Amino acid sequence: MRPCSREMQGMNSLFNPSSQIPLQDLQNQQIQNSHFDPNLSSNEDFLEQMLSSCSWADPKSPWDLNPPTNLPFPTNNSSSNSAKHRDLFNETPSSNSDSNNVGFRNNFDESVILASKLRQHQISCGNGAAVSDAAKMMLPQQLLMAVARGGLSLNDDIDGSLSQGGDGSIQGLFNGFGAGSMNGTDGASNQSMQHFNHPQGGAMQSPNLGAQGAAATTAVMNQPQASGSNGGAPAQPRQRVRARRGQATDPHSIAERLRRERIAERMKALQELVPNANKTDKASMLDEIIDYVKFLQLQVKVLSMSRLGGAAAVAPLVADMSSEAGGDCIQANDNGGSLARTTNGSQTASTNDNSLTVTEHQVAKMMEEDMGTAMQYLQGKGLCLMPISLATAISTATCHNRTSGIISSHAPMHQSNGEGPTSPSMSVLTVQSMTMGNGGGDGFAKDAASVSKP
Amino acid sequence: MRAPRSVLKQQFLKKWMMGLQVFGSAKQSMSILERKKAIKLSADIALAATRDGRTCWSRAIIADASKDDGGKVLVQHLLSPESERLKKACTGLVMENKRVRCKKILKRSCCIKRVRKGASKVVLAKSISKRIVKRRTQVLKSLVPGGEFMDDISLIEETLDYMVSLRAQVDVMRRSLAKATEVVNGK
Repeated sequence: MRPCSREMQGMNSLFNPSSQIPLQDLQNQQIQNSHFDPNLSSNEDFLEQMLSSCSWADPKSPWDLNPPTNLPFPTNNSSSNSAKHRDLFNETPSSNSDSNNVGFRNNFDESVILASKLRQHQISCGNGAAVSDAAKMMLPQQLLMAVARGGLSLNDDIDGSLSQGGDGSIQGLFNGFGAGSMNGTDGASNQSMQHFNHPQGGAMQSPNLGAQGAAATTAVMNQPQASGSNGGAPAQPRQRVRARRGQATDPHSIAERLRRERIAERMKALQELVPNANKTDKASMLDEIIDYVKFLQLQVKVLSMSRLGGAAAVAPLVADMSSEAGGDCIQANDNGGSLARTTNGSQTASTNDNSLTVTEHQVAKMMEEDMGTAMQYLQGKGLCLMPISLATAISTATCHNRTSGIISSHAPMHQSNGEGPTSPSMSVLTVQSMTMGNGGGDGFAKDAASVSKP
Repeated sequence: MRAPRSVLKQQFLKKWMMGLQVFGSAKQSMSILERKKAIKLSADIALAATRDGRTCWSRAIIADASKDDGGKVLVQHLLSPESERLKKACTGLVMENKRVRCKKILKRSCCIKRVRKGASKVVLAKSISKRIVKRRTQVLKSLVPGGEFMDDISLIEETLDYMVSLRAQVDVMRRSLAKATEVVNGK
């Protein structure tokens, strides 16, 4: 997905508050945005055709994208919708140092307001021809306005099939306005989204606001797509009786669409967080999310178990396990891993999904006695030992493109009573990466070791 | 110790330490498993406390923890500086959730599922995928604390926030673990 990298930056800027990157990018985007003007001026007649029924004093003004000065909008509209537009236009703030951010923020507020007003308008008026006319007239304007402020991401994959068609026709629409600058809008919109979200400063709020913005934009987007596809020259819209795609007047389907869009928007936000999330459909994304949450919770459990803050901590634990399940685990080894038995025997506190923790502790115990048997045990399970530094390096590397579960626990291998470390303290790391190669059985560093599953 | 980068982590660390201090006196007498529970519990409550009751999952955690005595002490210790009404809200949450659950069960029992006749391949695939999605949302609801009582949209929001907090929690815990080991080894 094209917007991915930008949104990644955005989320990074959310979580690691440093505004260096976005500002630079924004400046780059401004340069791109300025390309709007020369392309557009050549297609004025098309523009005027679209806007013929509403009296815009200066049809070129929306495309005036000099960022420091805010967009000068005409204030003498006389159409019925003019009052609405005027309010919104006059809301554009005067230039301040952060004018772009504020401008973009207002863009989103306005587009949200626009979309909601449009919806209410449509719902209240029903399926009348007049409404469709007015709607058709309004929509191109709104679309143009929204794009004029560089605030639309027209390539949002909100609704898969819909956006496909939407993109095609929108692109057709905008070829007249300079297709090359589509990238500019795309980047700018994501940039603006980030700036919009960044001042709010909360991860929770950003999906909401982003969702509203995107919902609004898709609402605005779908309808021009419908109108564009239904008539070559939208200047004189034909009367339609049956509900168009994207403008179903049934409030249920509108609500349904809203809901779907919101969910998709939040899914996108989640995609940035979860590693290995290049899936686009809901089911597999949910799967990834579930796995990741499970893994994080398991990590917390393991960390708290071994984070016992004391020299004598683990030895009794290990002794417990060995006393309860000593015979069992050896036999389990020979039987090729009937882990259930060892689990039942030794796990009184851990939950059932801590089989790996059991393994870790067994290995820890065995290492105390004899390295050889410990290594054999590991190999029998298909695990291997590696230095913790390597494991963390690999885990961060695989995080980007694979599902990897990393559980790190620290089990100081001390003899009883905490007299002092008799064996080197060990970190037991279990990596559940599917595609990780055999990390090598050697490299048992003095300070760190890890058990990893290839 | 290198200071945690974000405010969230700092808050979590502070509250976690406060929570652990509650157990400080009983440290010697506890068994390993109890200690593990104590650590995990204080970590969880600290994590929930950083959200100040703004998110559903944090309220759910606090509500669950308040049910038994040990948790209640921790909750009072960690939350009392901030808000009394938060605690009351959490206790009220349990009641409300029970009501919501009963309503859902009732609704489901009354609703009759209609089977589509002559479903084409596309429709069949769609219904299959819908079922898969539904099943997975169920699983997710069971994972996120307090998730059963939320609708799809807020569930995903909660998951988002919960994931961020979990990550921070894991990070802080791991770092403190490493630091403590250093200290212990150095001794």
